[in-house]
Amino acid sequence: MLGIILTGLVILLVIAIPIYYYNKIIRYENRIDNAWSQIDVQLKRRADLIPNLVESVKGYMKHEREVLENVTRARASLLQAETPQENIRADHQLTGALKTLFAVAENYPSLKANDNFLQLQDELSHTENKISYARQRYNDSVLAFNNAIETFPGRTMAGLMGKQERDMLQIPEEAREAPRISF
Amino acid sequence: MIEEHIRRNRRATVVVCLLMLVLLFGVIFALGFVLGFPPYLSLVVGLPLSLLYVLATYSFSVQSVLRAAQARPANPRNRQEKLFMYKVEEMAVAAGLPVPHAYVQDSSDINAFATGKKPEEAVICATTGALEKLDGEELEGVIGHEMSHIANRDVLLATVTVGVVGAIALISEILLRSLLWGSGRQRGKSAGVLVVGAIFFAILAPLFSRLVYLFMSRRREYLADANGALFTRNPEGLASALEKIRADLPDDPRGSQTVAPLYIANPFRRARRQSIWSTHPPLEERIRRLRSM
Repeated sequence: MLGIILTGLVILLVIAIPIYYYNKIIRYENRIDNAWSQIDVQLKRRADLIPNLVESVKGYMKHEREVLENVTRARASLLQAETPQENIRADHQLTGALKTLFAVAENYPSLKANDNFLQLQDELSHTENKISYARQRYNDSVLAFNNAIETFPGRTMAGLMGKQERDMLQIPEEAREAPRISF
Repeated sequence: MIEEHIRRNRRATVVVCLLMLVLLFGVIFALGFVLGFPPYLSLVVGLPLSLLYVLATYSFSVQSVLRAAQARPANPRNRQEKLFMYKVEEMAVAAGLPVPHAYVQDSSDINAFATGKKPEEAVICATTGALEKLDGEELEGVIGHEMSHIANRDVLLATVTVGVVGAIALISEILLRSLLWGSGRQRGKSAGVLVVGAIFFAILAPLFSRLVYLFMSRRREYLADANGALFTRNPEGLASALEKIRADLPDDPRGSQTVAPLYIANPFRRARRQSIWSTHPPLEERIRRLRSM
């Protein structure tokens, strides 16, 4: 009797453990993908806002062509970026260019008083903040995923599933200090 | 470490819930014993009845809290409130939750609360005082704290435990009455001691369950502080917000007592020392813990 129960338990464990780890790995992987789609949405939104910004600023900043060109160029490279890492790098370029633009805008009181400009500025820093939080979540998810597939028995399961470690999204070294724009 | 804080507080919550259940079972059995029911019968009758009671408190809605606080939806035309809505959205991204509705309460006090039993119907409400007096990082810290209440389903937990506390109080009341009126049928020689014991139990169980609930409430505040800091990666933001709140606590707290335990800091209690009767830990201790993370 005891023998039957024990055998039953062992069989149950042999079935349950792989299922548990399979589901865990899939769940973590989905979380990474979901975090990425969050970032992606915000990057698109940012790229969409730029033309409006350039349009509303152009009239005021006649002598700052270069600043505006930098922003436009950064936007173009963001649109061309393919891998997540490229996207993040391009986004950082854009953040830098925008920072210069907003700093220059300080010299134009009439521009600063422009409602439309102010709204765009708020929304751009809003998307920037969301991107940085989504990136934080992405990296946390990658960490959890990597931990799950590097430790036993997840490691064996991951091998069977053909899953490999994912990379975290790093911001380029020189841009690391770029602060989140605070209001 | 933040993760360690979170784990410790979660464990405390499990212990609290178990204690609550033990107490609830205890009063149900005691009443059954006094009325002369066999134990299984008390269980069959008592449990569904207490469950019903808890469900009745559960239906206590988001709307009634918002009404009690006289909160209104944030107005996107007002820049300050628009930025508040943005911050709520950013924190939702950090937490990986659906975006809660942003509400505003017109009050010069600095305070905020979250409500809603499910993340999908959650609300984060801040006072206009908080929007005016807190800077960006501080406001972010406060919203992060509220967002963790939502992520940890603290509102649900609080609602259910308040229901259980109520059920225990109600059953103990019946127990006490039936003991005093002597409606028991099992009156042997040894019953005397048991009756005295049951009376003690009937008096102590509601008191104890209330204390246990308050203990849990304080734990969940620490948990939300730690968890919020994990979202913002900036414990100092919340610490400095709590400092501002402490300096700003009103001498004559107004507003609704119903909402008081929900706020980030209870406006009706400015006790410096830890009290077993408070819903929130002392602000000093919360600030100290945040700064040591």
